[in-house]
Amino acid sequence: MIIYMCIAIMFFVGLYGMMVKKNIIKMIIGVNIIGYAVNLFFIVLGYRKNGIAPIMVPGMEIKDFVQKAVNPLPQALVLTSIVIDLSIICFLASLSIRIYEKYGSFDFEKIRRLKG
Amino acid sequence: MNLIISPVILYLLSAFLIALIWKENEKLAGFASLSFSILSMISVILLGRFVFLNERIIYFVGGWEVPIGITLMVDSLSYIFLFTLNSMLPLICWFSITYMKKYTNPGLFYIVFSLISAGMNGILISMDFFNIYVFLEIASIASYILVAFGLRTEEIEASLKYTILGFIGSTLIIIGIGLILGKTGTLNIADFTYIAENLRKHQLWFILGLFIAGFSLKTALFPFHFWLPDAHSLAPSPVSALLSGLFIKVTGLYPLFRIITNIFVMFPESKIILIGLGLASMIFGSFMAIDQIDIKRMYAYSSISQIGYCALSLGIGGYWGYLGAILHFIFHSLSKSLLFLNIGAIEYKYNTTKIEELKGLEDKLPYVVTTGSIGMLSISGIPPFGCFWSKIVIIISAIKKHYYGIAFICVIISTITLGYFLRLKRNIFYSKDDESKTVEISYNLLMPMVILSIFILLSGLVFTPNIKIYLDKAVYIMENFTYAKIMEK
Repeated sequence: MIIYMCIAIMFFVGLYGMMVKKNIIKMIIGVNIIGYAVNLFFIVLGYRKNGIAPIMVPGMEIKDFVQKAVNPLPQALVLTSIVIDLSIICFLASLSIRIYEKYGSFDFEKIRRLKG
Repeated sequence: MNLIISPVILYLLSAFLIALIWKENEKLAGFASLSFSILSMISVILLGRFVFLNERIIYFVGGWEVPIGITLMVDSLSYIFLFTLNSMLPLICWFSITYMKKYTNPGLFYIVFSLISAGMNGILISMDFFNIYVFLEIASIASYILVAFGLRTEEIEASLKYTILGFIGSTLIIIGIGLILGKTGTLNIADFTYIAENLRKHQLWFILGLFIAGFSLKTALFPFHFWLPDAHSLAPSPVSALLSGLFIKVTGLYPLFRIITNIFVMFPESKIILIGLGLASMIFGSFMAIDQIDIKRMYAYSSISQIGYCALSLGIGGYWGYLGAILHFIFHSLSKSLLFLNIGAIEYKYNTTKIEELKGLEDKLPYVVTTGSIGMLSISGIPPFGCFWSKIVIIISAIKKHYYGIAFICVIISTITLGYFLRLKRNIFYSKDDESKTVEISYNLLMPMVILSIFILLSGLVFTPNIKIYLDKAVYIMENFTYAKIMEK
C-alpha cells in the first residue's frame, strides 16, 4: 500500500512541477516525473513478493512456476511506455532549445504571447 | 481478413519510404504520400463489402486468439469513421502539395503526415486498450510536431502548451488502462467487458472517470479546451484541417463513443456527464467565436462548439441521438476541413488571416469564396447543406426524449453560429475594395475544396437517404452491441 501512495505523491509532484513552475526546464522535469510514476505503477502491478523471473527453465514444475513467477505483461508494456515518454521529452527539449535561441530565456511568463 | 491492417501498414511504409527520399526529391515525396493515401483509401473501400456482409471482421495478430494476443476489429461503426478518415486524407495531402511550398522543408511534412494518419487508422481498428494507447501516442506526438512545423515563436509556444496538456490526457488514459490491468488482468477490450459484467459498479467508476477526462482532453470538450484555439489556429492550414476535422474526433470522440455505448454499458448515468460537457462546450465555443479577430481562431472556437453537438447527441442517446452524433461527425469533418483549406488558400495568396486585412475577396478569388460560403452555410445549419441534416436529427432526438430546453439551446447556438459566419462573410468576402482583379490560384489548392463542397452540397439530398442503411447498422451497434458478445460466441 505504501508504494501506491508513493506513486500518487510522485504523480502530484510531477503535476505541481508542470502546472505551477514558470521555468520550461522544470516543466519538462515534471513531465518526466509523471512518466516515471506511471511506469512504476505498471511495474508494481506485476510485482510479487519473492517472485522469480517469468522464464521457464528445464526441471521446473509448472505449478511452482505459476505460483512464483511475476507477471511479465506490465514489464513489456513499460518498455513501450518508456519509449513514448522519451520521445515526448526529446520533443519538448528541442522546443525549449528553440525558445532559448529566440528569447534567451526559459521563463514561460516572459515568452508568453497567446491568450489561451 | 488482411485488408484490415492495410491502412496502418501502408501509411507506416509511406513514412519510411519518404524518410529515405525527401532530401533528394521533394516533389516525389509529396507524390508518394498522395499515392499511398489513395492506395489506403482504395483498400478501405474494398474492406467495406466484407464489413457489411459479416457484421464485423476480427483479425488476430500473429494468430493468437482473443485473451492472449492483440486483436483488431472493424465493425460498421468503426468502418464509418475509417471511411471518412481515409477518403479525406488524400484531399488534405493533395492540398498540402502546393501549400507546404511556403515552408523550408516540405519533405519532412509528409513523413509526419503519414505517421499521424497511421496512428489515427490504428486507433480505429484496434480492440486492445494498450494498442489504442500506443496508436494514440503515435498520432498525438505527430500532431505536436505538426503544430510547431512553422517554427515561429507563437507556433512553438502553442505546441509546448498542447504537448503538456496532451501529455496529461494520455497519462490519465494510461492510468485507467493500468487500473484495468490490475483489476482484471487483461487488456483485450472484449475480454475486459466480459469480466466487467460480473464486477461490482464501484470498482469501475474511477476507471470510467479517468477515461472520460482523458478522452475529453483529446476532444477539447469545454473545461479541457485551452490548447485547441492556439494549436489549431497556428498550425499550417492543411494541418488545421486535419486536426480540427479529423484528429480530435478520431482520437477523442470515437473512443468516447465506444466507452459510453459498448464498453461501460453498466453506467447509463455517464451520459448525463456528456450532455453537460457538450452543452458547456457548445455555448462557450460559440460565444468565444463571436469577437475573434483572427479567422483561423474563430474556426477553432467554432470547432469546440460543434464538437459539443456531437457529445451532446451521444449523451442524449437512443436511435436519433446516436444517428445525430454519427451524422454530425461526418458532416462537420467535411465542412470544417473545407473551411480550413479555404482559409489556407487565402493565406497562401495574401499571407494573413486577420479579418481586417482581408477585403473584397469576392472579385479576387471567386471559386474560393463560393466554396467557403458553402462550408460556412453548412456549419451554421442552412438547408440543404450537410450539417443542417445532422443538427435537425440532434434536435429531434432531444425532443423525443423530452429535453425541450436542450433542443431550444441547440437552435439558439446554431443561430449564433450563423451570426458570426455571416459577419465574417460580409467583412472578408463581400466588402468593397478598390482593387478587384481576379487572382490566379493553383489547381492543387482549388480541387480538394471543390470536391469537398460538392460532397457537402449533395450530402443531404443524395447521400443521406442512400447511406442510411449503413448508418442504421452503426446505430444498431451503438444501441445493442457490447464487446462481451464476441466472447460469448
